[in-house]
Formats: sequence, structure tokens, C-alpha cells
Amino acid sequence: MTEVKRQVKKRLKNLQSLPTLPAIVGKLTRMIGDENTTAPQIASLIEKDQVLTGKVLKMVNSAFYGFPRRISTVANAIVLLGFNVIRTLVITASIFETMQSSDLSLWEHSLGTAAAAGLLAQRLGLKNPEEVTTAGLLHDLGKVVIRTEFPELYKQIREKVVQEKRYFYEAEKEILGLDHGEIGRLLANQWNLPERLVEPIAYHHQPEKARKFKKETAIVHFADIMTRAEDYGSGGDPWVPPLSAWAWKKLKLTEEDLAELIPVFEERLLELRFFTLEMRHENERNRTATP
Amino acid sequence: MKTKETVLLLLEEGLQEKWRPLLEDSSFRFLFYRQPHQAAARILEAPPNLIVLQERLAPELVYELTKALKTNLNLSFLPIILILPPKNVTKDWKDWPADDFLKEDASGEEALSRIKLAFARAQRSADNNPLTGLPGNTTILKAIQEKINAEERAAIAYVDLDHFKPFNDRYGFARGDEILRMVARVLTNVILSRYGSKGFVGHVGGDDFVFICPLEEIEATCQEIIKDYEALLPNFIDPQDLEKGYFEGEDREGNPRRFPFPSLSIAVVSLTPGRFKHYGEVSAAAAQIKKIVKARSGNVYFVDWG
Repeated sequence: MTEVKRQVKKRLKNLQSLPTLPAIVGKLTRMIGDENTTAPQIASLIEKDQVLTGKVLKMVNSAFYGFPRRISTVANAIVLLGFNVIRTLVITASIFETMQSSDLSLWEHSLGTAAAAGLLAQRLGLKNPEEVTTAGLLHDLGKVVIRTEFPELYKQIREKVVQEKRYFYEAEKEILGLDHGEIGRLLANQWNLPERLVEPIAYHHQPEKARKFKKETAIVHFADIMTRAEDYGSGGDPWVPPLSAWAWKKLKLTEEDLAELIPVFEERLLELRFFTLEMRHENERNRTATP
Repeated sequence: MKTKETVLLLLEEGLQEKWRPLLEDSSFRFLFYRQPHQAAARILEAPPNLIVLQERLAPELVYELTKALKTNLNLSFLPIILILPPKNVTKDWKDWPADDFLKEDASGEEALSRIKLAFARAQRSADNNPLTGLPGNTTILKAIQEKINAEERAAIAYVDLDHFKPFNDRYGFARGDEILRMVARVLTNVILSRYGSKGFVGHVGGDDFVFICPLEEIEATCQEIIKDYEALLPNFIDPQDLEKGYFEGEDREGNPRRFPFPSLSIAVVSLTPGRFKHYGEVSAAAAQIKKIVKARSGNVYFVDWG
């Protein structure tokens, strides 16, 4: 194991908390202050942020609550934890000290992938599409870790991607010794997340490696590509990554499936664009408001 | 050797300096925090055995956290000691579920003594169910008798799980315990979000629970509990059984049989002024209703309107 890789793994073990978008935390804090806010309203906002969703799932799956590796959706987590606990969790959320445009793009990319994964899971008749949506939302959590915990290396990776026209995960492997999928897997296991979430996070770039949740992983892989093809947000790569032939065979999507799915997905993206635009504006306002 | 009790303290720098030498002397494991958010995250993810919180550092967070731990998570056995400014120790303790307080100018010796006292006191109130943290039989009977005496229109609901025994045999006790904890959380959160401190949830033992709420809303409450239970149950069933819609086990005679997944049955006794005088009468009425509920399959409730 290289020295850098050892460092990364060590840092993951001691990871305190990941920061998220100030605008989301701000909106949640306002909602919590409002007595009329309901649990489902809070849930639907938390589900729009990969870091907060990760935080909620980490908590509900921790050994203390007594359901390790069981819970994979925010809605289920809120029923189990209760409103007061969720409120406290939101109050303890940390935010990005300095926001970059790429942070917002990655956030949008995760939201888009979540929406696509949910639609695909529904279309393919999976038992619990909400779980696959969550997996889509969390799939690039490893990138957030690199960005916040190793800002210098992150810069190097980005430069390599731009200069050498490489894929992000290739540059990560060369510089860190492991890619964001592997980092996501380590983190998700450390947080006791269910395997049905861990596998799609770990293998969304090599879906054929999935062992138990093959279909879920293939869906997140394809959803990732669909979102990039629609040019919503950015995963950081200069091009759309290649579609895995294995995943394509596994999904057995027909022309008809796609013809019906894509317009629905585009409609969902339109709704999301309104929301993310609002968050982008809010971030701008916050930036100009603080000297 | 007994494992050390963990005490988490959220204190400002100066107070840490002052108390640290004495505290480190004793047989506890102390975790000092200065950052309120870090302390809160640590408490929620892996609760310690006792918490000391200096209110001044983050008044809102300290209040929210205390409420969340004591009321939502049924960690009423987890002692919380507040540290208050010497000139401002008056609080509405009915709304503040802390166990004790200390002044900021207290000595390290006093702090240590209070911590030990809090542990001793927690030992004494041992009625809570160890699996779920919910109050046990003594408290349940007291709660029912209080409703009778107050002549309130209340619903006393007896909750239990059908097919729980074969489920335990097939999936093992650990999984069975997870389901019981899940039911406890669902009951607690539904009752708490609807009625706050006016509601009550207790754990008689095994798969038997009791909750109390206003009679008028009992049907909506039962429906919400069943809805939440149905949403969560699939997380605790193996995918292949979920696919089939049943699991295979053995009946009492040892013959192979197909069983449905554990389901909730809720038998409700309505408490109207004058109907009962003693909690024993309520249990007797409940036993009758249970027979009716048990004869139906699936997640069901039945209200005996009296």
C-alpha cells in the first residue's frame, strides 16, 4: 500500500463530519424554526443532499439504535429516529467554509443521478425504488471526502483530469492509490450502511463487480451516465464515462423503455433545476452578504 | 473487570482547566469537548453513560439535545447535568428534562460528587425495559391508574405481535430484538409527535407494549402506527422471504408450516369517566378484546367503545 493510500484510509477512520451547502442547511434551519413544518417536509429536503442523507443514515444504522445495516431511506430513518432527533441533527450539520462552483455542480449531479436511479428502479419493477434513489444520491460521496479532506490532492486530480483528458476515477487512482468508489465503500461500511447502498456506491464505475445487488448497481451506473448525458450538474469528468456492456445486458432496457423514461426524466430535471437554481441564488446572496 | 462509565463533558476552556485534574483522578472515562456541534454529534452517534453540558456554549442546541435524548430516544436513564451561570439557575424544569445542575463556579470535587450521585440515582429507577428503554410494568400500571383517577376520556391500547415466536425461531433472537426495538421507536415517535408529554408508551416485556392517548384520536393513531410499521418491516425480512411473502417454520407440533411475517395487533380499551375504578379491570377488558383482534389476520386494531 502506498503512503498516500495509507494516509487516506487513516483520515477516513477519524473523519468527523462532512460539510454541506450553506443554503440547504439555512433552509432546513428556517423550516425547523417554523412550528408548522412536518417530518415529511424535512425528509424531502434532507433527501436532496447527499451529505445530510449520509449523516441521517449513519446515525440510524449505528450500533446504538439497534438496527445496524438495516435502514436505507431517509423516510424510514425519520420514522425511527423521530422529529426531535432529526432537528438536533440538522442543528449539528456543518457547512462548507468556502464554496466552489464545482461543489454545487457535484451536488446537482448527485441529485440528477438519484432521480434517474429512482425512475429506472420503478420502470424495472424493483421492490423498493426509494432505496435505489438513495444509492444514486450517495454514489459520489467519495468525491466529497476527497474535496474536503484532501483539498491539495483534489486540486492535483482536477488538474490531471483537465490537462491529460483523463477520467476522474483514473486520476484519483494514480494520485491517491484508490478512487472515489473505493473511498465511498470504506466510508459506507464504516457508517454501517446496508449493503444494498454500499455496492452501488462502491462499484458505480465497475458495476460487474457487484455481488449481491447487481441490478441496483447497474441502475446507479446507468443513472450516472444518463444524468451526464442530460448535462445536469457535473461529475467532474470531461466526457461521459463509457457504458458497461455488462450493466446494459443486466438491465435489459428496451427502446420503448427509454423512449418513455427519458421525457419523464427530463421533466424531473426541470423541477430540480428550479430548486437548484434557488439554492445557487441563495449561495450567491450569502457570499455577497458576508464581507 | 467492569468497563468504565463514559462521561461526556461540553465545557468552555477555563472550566475544563479547573475541573480536569480532579475528574481525571477517578474511575470514569472522561471525554472533554469544547465544540458544541462535535459534542452533539458524538452523543447522538454513540451516547455516553452521562452527559454534562454547559448551557452558555450553545443554549438552543443544549436544549434540543436534552429533549431529543430524554423524550424521543427514551434515554431517560441517561443522566444529563446542566452547567448554569451562578446568577441564573432558575428554569422551568417541567419543560427541561435535565436531571441536575451545577453552577459554573462549582469546584471539581463538587462536580465529581454530583456525577457519582447521578449514576447512583439512575441505578435506582430500574423499571425501564433494557431492550427498548421504555418504562416497564410498574410505571404502566401507575399511568393507567392516573388516567382512571383523573376521569379523562383516554384510550388504553395493548399492542402485540402475531407470529413473532416462529419468526424468532427462524431468524434468531437478534433479529427479533431488532423488530421489538423498531416497534418501540414507532410507538414512541407517533405518540410523541401527536401528543407530546400527554401521551404514554410502555413496554410490558417480550412483544407486549402499551400506549395511552386521547380517546377521540385513537383510530387515526392506530392507523398511523400500522402505516409506519408496514413501511419499516421489509427492512427486517430477508429478500428471498420478502419475495415469497411468507417464511417457512415449524408449528408447535414440529410440523413444517408457512408463516406470514410478524403483524401488529392493537386492542384498545376505552376509558370513559366512571367505567373503571381499578387498573385490574382495564387489563381484564383488554384480554377480552385481544381475542377478537387475534382472530383477524394482518395488522389490525379494534376499539372497545365501552
